[in-house]
Formats: sequence, C-alpha cells, structure tokens
Amino acid sequence: MREITLSKAVNEAIAEEMRRDPSIFLMGEDVAEAGTPFKVLSGLVEEFGTERIIDTPISEPGFMGLAVGAAMTGSRPIVDLMFGDFLFLVMDQLCNQAAKTHYMSGGKLSVPLVLRTNMGATRRSAAQHSQSLHALVAHIPGLKVAMPSSAYEAKGLMKTAIRDNSPVVIFEDKLMYNDKAPVPEEEYLIPFGEAAVLREGSDITLVGTSSMVQVALAAAETLAAEGISAEVIDPRTIVPLDEETILTSVRKTSRAMVIDEGHQSYGVSAEIASRITEKAFYYLDAPVVRMGAMDVPVPFSPALEDITVPTAEGVAAMARHLVRGEARDVA
Amino acid sequence: MSHDVIMPALGMAQETGLIVAWLKAPGDAVKTGDPLMEVETDKATMEVEAQADGYLTGIRAQAGENVPVGEVVAQISESQEETAQAPAPPPEADAEAPPAPEGATEIPEGAQIIMPALGMAQDTGHLTAWHKAPGDAVSAEDILLEVETDKSAVEVPAGQSGYIAALLAEPGEDVPVGNVIAVISTQKPDAPLMRGATAAPAPKPKAASPSPAPDAPAKAREPASATSTQPSPQGRILASPKMRHQAKLEGLDLARLVEAGVPQPYHMADLEQLRSLADPAPRAAATHPQAAALHLSAELPADGLRDFLSWIETETGAPPEIPAVLAGLAAGALGPDGASGSVVAVERFGRRVGRRRAWPGWRKRIGRGGRTLRP
Repeated sequence: MREITLSKAVNEAIAEEMRRDPSIFLMGEDVAEAGTPFKVLSGLVEEFGTERIIDTPISEPGFMGLAVGAAMTGSRPIVDLMFGDFLFLVMDQLCNQAAKTHYMSGGKLSVPLVLRTNMGATRRSAAQHSQSLHALVAHIPGLKVAMPSSAYEAKGLMKTAIRDNSPVVIFEDKLMYNDKAPVPEEEYLIPFGEAAVLREGSDITLVGTSSMVQVALAAAETLAAEGISAEVIDPRTIVPLDEETILTSVRKTSRAMVIDEGHQSYGVSAEIASRITEKAFYYLDAPVVRMGAMDVPVPFSPALEDITVPTAEGVAAMARHLVRGEARDVA
Repeated sequence: MSHDVIMPALGMAQETGLIVAWLKAPGDAVKTGDPLMEVETDKATMEVEAQADGYLTGIRAQAGENVPVGEVVAQISESQEETAQAPAPPPEADAEAPPAPEGATEIPEGAQIIMPALGMAQDTGHLTAWHKAPGDAVSAEDILLEVETDKSAVEVPAGQSGYIAALLAEPGEDVPVGNVIAVISTQKPDAPLMRGATAAPAPKPKAASPSPAPDAPAKAREPASATSTQPSPQGRILASPKMRHQAKLEGLDLARLVEAGVPQPYHMADLEQLRSLADPAPRAAATHPQAAALHLSAELPADGLRDFLSWIETETGAPPEIPAVLAGLAAGALGPDGASGSVVAVERFGRRVGRRRAWPGWRKRIGRGGRTLRP
C-alpha cells in the first residue's frame, strides 16, 4: 500500500469530500494561496477557487460565527483554526451556539460543521501556540471530538467528520504532519466511537490519544524487550468514546495507564482513568495512572519544553512499576 | 456624636489599604465630601472623602501604614477636643464571641429597616457609613446609609419617614442581608438607641425576641461529639481490588500474608503464596481463634451418604468435596441457634485402616456409584 503524510491525507479527505458535495466550503486564515502555515491545504484553492476556499481576516470569532450560521442554513462549512490555542477566541460560537442549537431548536436545526485545528507541544512555539485543548471541547455536550494518530486515521476521521450532522472538532498533532503511514487509494471512512487496538498485550493496557499513541507504542516496544506485554489502544474519538474496547482490554490486563498530551489535571486522561476505575474496579491489580503534560504553561526553552510532555521512557518506567506491583503512593 | 472613618474597600478583592497621606491634620475642620486621606490599593490610588461634618480627631493609622479594610482609622467629632477616647475598634469586638446580649435593650417601636440585597449572590452588606444619627428626623428619600457589596458602594434611602429610633449596626460591620439594621419611629424617640458590633445580633424581622436562640450553640457542638465516638479505620490490609476480590472468592484471608511477613500492598502475584499459606481447616480455626467450642464425631455406614453424594454429582457435574458436604450437614443439624455465627470445620473424615486413610478409596467407590447412577 502507498504511504502518504498526514498532511496529504487531510488534504485528500477534504478534496474528495468537496468534489462529492458542493455545499462544503472551507475558510480560515491563510488557507487559500498559503495553504496554511503547515501547507496542509496546498492546491485546494487551485481546484475549488476562492469561492469555496476562503481566506478570512484575522477574526476567529467572526468567521466561526459565520460558519455556525452557514451550517444552520444548509452549507457544510469546514473551519480552519490555525492553532488550537485560538479555540479560546471561538468559545461562544462553538460551545454556546454550535453545540446547543440542535437541542434548543427541538431538532429543527443542525450545525454540520467541522472545526479542524491542531494540538501538541515541542515545536518551540511557546505557551500560546503549544496547547492541547481537546479536553475543553470534549466537556461540552453536543460537540464530537476526533483525535487522529496517523495519516490513515486522519483521512478516515476527516471524511466521517465532514459527513456528520453534528459539529465536530478534529485535532491534528502539529508534529505529525510529515509522518507517513499506509493509506489506501480507495475510499474509506473510520466510524466515530470505535477504538483501535494497535498492539495486543496481556500485562498492561496503554490508552494513548493522538500524539501519545506513538509514545505508547514505543513504550510497549521497550517493555516487550523486558518481557512485559503491553496492549496499546487508540480511542480515535474521545467523544464519542469507545468505552467497551478499553474496558475489555483492562479486564484482561488488570492494569491501565492513560496517556494524553493535554495538561494532566482535569483532563481527558482523568476522564478515561475514572471510567476504568468505575467500571472495571474489581479487575484492577494496580492503580490506574494518568500521564499528561505537566500543569505548567508550555515553556519556550527547548530543554524545559521537552520534559513537560510524556515520553516513551517515562511511560515505560511507570508501566514497569505497575506491572511489578511496586507500592506507589500507598501505605 | 462622632463619626468613624474606616478604611474603605476600593477593589473587589482588597483586604488592606495603604494610607499614602493624610490630607487633613488632627483637629482640622472637615466637611462631608472633603478629601480626608489618600489610599493606595494594588490597582490605584484614591482620595477618600469625609462622610460627615466635624473635626478630624483620633487618627489611629499614620501615613505609610497598611490598614485592613473596615478598620477605623480616625474619627470626625463634633468638637476639636473630643479625641482619643474612641470606642473599641470593631475588628477586636468582632473577634469576640457573638453572644453576651449586652444590656438586652428593647428595640424601640417603629418601622424596621433591613440590610438590603443589592447583588444576586450577596450574603452580607458592608456598612460603610450612617448618614443619619440616632434621633435625627428623616424623610423616606433621605440617604440613610451607605453599603458596600463586592461590586459597588450604594447609598440606601431610608424608605420611611420619621425619626431614627435605633441604629443597630456599626460602620465597618458586615451585616447579613435581611437583618434589621435600623428602626424609624413616627414619634421623636426619648432614648434613641445606637448599638455596635458588640451587641447581640439584630433579630430578623419576624423574630421578636432580641436574645439569640438558646439551642443554637448546642446544635453546633453535636457533629463534633458524633465524630469523636467514630472509631478510626485502622489495620486495613492494602491489596489491589482484584486481589482482594479473588481472595474473597476463594475464601482466603489476606491476613495470612501479613503474618508471613509479605510486604503490602498485595497483588495477584501474591495469590499463589496466599493459597499455599492457607489450608481449609486451620484457616477456619484461625479466623475464629476461640477454637472449637464443640467437637462432634459420628459413625455412619459407609454407604449411608453414597446416594446423596451421587445425587450432588449428577446435579453439579462434579464430584462433591466430602468434608464440605459434611460440614454443611453438621451446620444444618446444629439448627438455627447453634449454627448462628459458628464455623463448622471437618477435622477428619474416614477411619484409618492400617497406615492408610480409608476415605480416598471410599471416594473412588462414591465416584463409581455416581457414574452408574447416571442415565
């Protein structure tokens, strides 16, 4: 199978869907000629023109509101938010309007929009361009949240997102745009709410999201060399969350870690860990451990920035600890 | 009559204010609205105006001092001489317990004025100043007091015409919303009342009695005594949920691991050791260290149980554990009284024949019998 970059996979997904459905248009800052700072959308304006690939001024609340209105009235807009950090600018349009309109109109209105944005640190972009804010929107009922971890997932999830009649926020990891993965030529969609078991194992379950899937897989590789068998699960969408795949795995392994690049406190890792504890309690042979970014604004200093996010070594060390049953924060 | 000058709250979360400078000297005549002092908060420097006419006396805080919000910093008196002998500052009084219904003075007749709710989530109002003195004549539109909430300072009109019969709170005091803070009478009062923070809390409009409810302190003490009788949980053996669950399923006692010196917490990895540490009979005895209160021995014909055991095997598909069946029968035979809370253990089953226990062979026969009985 051919291998393409995550960037190319997203581009293909959007182009294919725009060819299929003329009601789809895309707008955002530097999306047309510039093709976004990460060059994800290069070539789209040539094919679809400036009527459907729309460059906006620097005005996130404005174009987000515009997209919500367009979605309510029959279009299927894709909003490109240059950095996930700018989510704070569109909170009302997204969380108060897009997420609630379907419910508050008694189902008469739908808001089929996709907000594609990014997440992830270690790009030396400093605190205001390095956040992973998916927990913020995952907390708001009415929004779906997808977190692809590879080119294959990025394409399949983007196509599903565009066809979904609910507002969907899709987070791409900034560091992953140039990562290649096998992606079929033929069309495919990845349904929401279906986790992928990327590696089977029997001693511990590592649930990783987006950027942390690679970290979990690398840790599993290290652990395998020591005779510890780790299962790696990628939920792919955190709303809806495929709880059953995670619980089935934990019932088998009796141990779990949840690795997510959002800040560790009050985050997605806490939510998943909590569900495991609630629903698989009597199967647990070790505490369920969260691993997320440190609870600090992401530092600009490369030396400091690198230690704020979970690493494969850190995950492997903690997993070793749990499998060996070494006391941790008890007694 | 003197008027207290307090440190005002100028910000939302301000706890103290720094007096940058006094703009009047002790003994100076001041008029309402005159700048009195300059106060600096973390946000701004502001001039604080006098709220009364008179003479500035009794300055208690000097320029450069950081003063808690609400504390009296000076007074405005009717004469230049009326200095120093200021009443006890409200913060100290606040520190003392509320009771001691000092004087238990009757609240005069009249319309009761309550602390208004000026905000949506306001619990108390901070009284910054009275604009009228006890005995003064007021009309409904007159400003009676100034209240500060966390959002703003508001001048509150009297709402009633008449005479100030009582002022029941002091400037600087935080008064719960709804509490009576003043009484306005239709007749000029003979002895208008001025009550400070040291007095009993003003009653709510409906509660006519000025004394606080006597059972309130007793109720407050109750939960404390309840918790003290609660035994503190201790000696809990640390084990993973799965290990604890598994041990329970198998009827194993985690205490065996503690006795064997295995370090806690216990995980599934310790299960094998726990199984090896516990065999059924001694376990039962150990969990009930008072040991057997009753020893029973019974002799029965070898085939007396056979059909029963065979029936169990056909029902369950597995040969029964004979000691367990016997223990169950014995417990049943002891009856509801004898068996309640007691543990029945089979210490020995079968009879020695030579050097060999009879029961394994016997069990074989039972097994055979079971098979022959099957359809």
